[in-house]
Amino acid sequence: MSRVLVPCHVKGSVALQVGDVRTSQGRPGVLVIDVTFPSVAPFELQEITFKNYYTAFLSIRVRQYTSAHTPAKWVTCLRDYCLMPDPHSEEGAQEYVSLFKHQSPSMTFPKWLSHPVPCEQPALLREGLPDPSRVSSEVQQMWALTEMIRASHTSARIGRFDVDGCYDLNLLSYT
Amino acid sequence: MLQEESDLSLIIAQIVQKLKGSNLYSQLERQAWASLQRPEIKLESLKEDIKEFFKISGWEKKLQNAVYSELSVFPLPSHPAAPPEHLKEPLVYMRKAQGSWEKRILKSLNSMCTELSIPLARKRPVGEQKELLNKWNEMGTDEPDLSLFRPVYAPKDFLEVLINLRNPNYENGDSLSFRTHLGLIQVPLKVKDIPELKECFVELGLNIGQLGIDDSTQVPPELFENEHVRIGQKVLSEQDSAAAQQYIRQGSPTALRAELWALILNISSQPEDVLYYEQLKTNVIQHDLLVDSLIYKDVKLTASNDDYYFVFEDYLYQVLLCFSRDTSVLSHFAFNSASPPKSYIRGKLGLEEYAVFYPPNGVIPFHGFSMYVAPLCFLYHEPSKLYQIFREMYVRFFFRLHSISSHPSGIVSLCLLFETLLQTYLPQLFYHLREIGAQPLRISFKWMVRAFSGYLATDQLLLLWDRILGYNSLEILAVLAAAVFAFRAVNLMEVTSLAAAEAVLADLSTLKVMPLLQIFLFATVT
Repeated sequence: MSRVLVPCHVKGSVALQVGDVRTSQGRPGVLVIDVTFPSVAPFELQEITFKNYYTAFLSIRVRQYTSAHTPAKWVTCLRDYCLMPDPHSEEGAQEYVSLFKHQSPSMTFPKWLSHPVPCEQPALLREGLPDPSRVSSEVQQMWALTEMIRASHTSARIGRFDVDGCYDLNLLSYT
Repeated sequence: MLQEESDLSLIIAQIVQKLKGSNLYSQLERQAWASLQRPEIKLESLKEDIKEFFKISGWEKKLQNAVYSELSVFPLPSHPAAPPEHLKEPLVYMRKAQGSWEKRILKSLNSMCTELSIPLARKRPVGEQKELLNKWNEMGTDEPDLSLFRPVYAPKDFLEVLINLRNPNYENGDSLSFRTHLGLIQVPLKVKDIPELKECFVELGLNIGQLGIDDSTQVPPELFENEHVRIGQKVLSEQDSAAAQQYIRQGSPTALRAELWALILNISSQPEDVLYYEQLKTNVIQHDLLVDSLIYKDVKLTASNDDYYFVFEDYLYQVLLCFSRDTSVLSHFAFNSASPPKSYIRGKLGLEEYAVFYPPNGVIPFHGFSMYVAPLCFLYHEPSKLYQIFREMYVRFFFRLHSISSHPSGIVSLCLLFETLLQTYLPQLFYHLREIGAQPLRISFKWMVRAFSGYLATDQLLLLWDRILGYNSLEILAVLAAAVFAFRAVNLMEVTSLAAAEAVLADLSTLKVMPLLQIFLFATVT
């Protein structure tokens, strides 16, 4: 099943604040980021990836159209998902995060799909360790991938630090 | 959970890829081929029979140890979208600070180069090569003129950089408020408090036997020591790295320590390793580096002046000079916030095919660096083994003590942990020292940067390093530093200047580290 990036427009963040933004001294703790999908055919969202910057908790709300006649309504997909276990310290502050469809059952978009992507049945998740033969087949896939990557690199000469026997250096470089 | 499963697959793939290039892999392959001769290996159950053979012959254990070693050293794979810098250090402002610090070091080295008109590297003429080869075992007798060389930096320079670290997103104001940190470190890293440390260092508890406490002359050896030694011998005969790491949390018997450390670090001296060391030695003979003079100077200034370590002077050169030429060390920069300095072959500035790292291992030694090696000389006398052990200790632990990162075992976290422990559990002492202009970190920093080498008596230092290996963490250094202050609190409360405070804490050679740690963690009223 191949996945593609969905083109989207991420608007700047807006503070949720009571009162006048200009005169109020307080710093709002809640910011809202709007993400719109311009002119894209209906799709099934699998994963949202982003880099955090000091956001402690994340909620995601989606405006869903249920049918052509009823007005769209807002659905909460994720509420107060914790990105920083201790908001006053650096843990998780600048981490890369992925949110998957399975984490939110209602994270689907319009009911009909124009790309008939086969919907993956959630695997019977065993408690404890994953199924070894499944892991080993995934490992083989990754192995093949890493071999491809390795083959495309020029081979480094192991252990040698000179260039053709020469290690005559001028000065250290700052770049 | 699906996420955990794919994380596990990724970790497995990563470890497999790493081990595939190793000696162990080729040995296992050879063993598997050779085992086909054996009668118990049947074609219809080939895979299972070979696996069984590996289990019985001890090769599976070797593989387990190698995997365990990789897990201990390599950080967990990060998010696929994360660039390589993120693995080195996730916080952008720390990466920038490390970059600036490195630039200062490079400038300092470059100016030393131009001032003294000494090249960064040169090929030795044949006569000089022969001479060096002849006196390889007694380089300490050499008295080169090192007066013009100065160490690139000392720990106190590095401390100033750490004190000025700021998170641009953290508002704590310039004026003193309840949000300002009272210590010198102003970045909000997460550090453990005593309840969390007690959980983490549970084997150091009051009701658990320790070497360094329960092996003292007053305690009959039947109570703990004999049994502990017996278990240690069993662990060694099983050759199990993970078991050794668990065992050593209670300390290592002196007679078993060298083997236990080698087992935990997964070092087994194979012929290839000895050959590799000899190759490094050849590199030292052939090329002279400016960094060599820095190493000489450091050894002469520190280890040679130390009552415990001066006898090992020659070993230190044999290890550190080779270390500088070892390109295999470069791989640790994948998870080190630091980066190896770059240079170009003379006349080829800017041409990437003539770009090289300098020194070849990418590590520029600072004042006191040789003290990382010195204590190991008590344990290992064969140069290539001593070398391997030091190299592994460096890429697992010591590099974190002199690079700027947010890692829990990084020096910044250790400093903050120390200051927080002191403030929280000895607030009167902390306040008093601050008032007299003796910020505690200014005194303890040098202890932590050197992992207490050169400050404690060697037997005590080795007991401390046992626990570093056992817990795979340097946090114990910060706890010990706080425990030392707690121990000398009464005297410290009476001093009225930084100099006097330094004097109270100048001599740590009589301290017993395990009782101090135990009391601080488990017997102090919190």
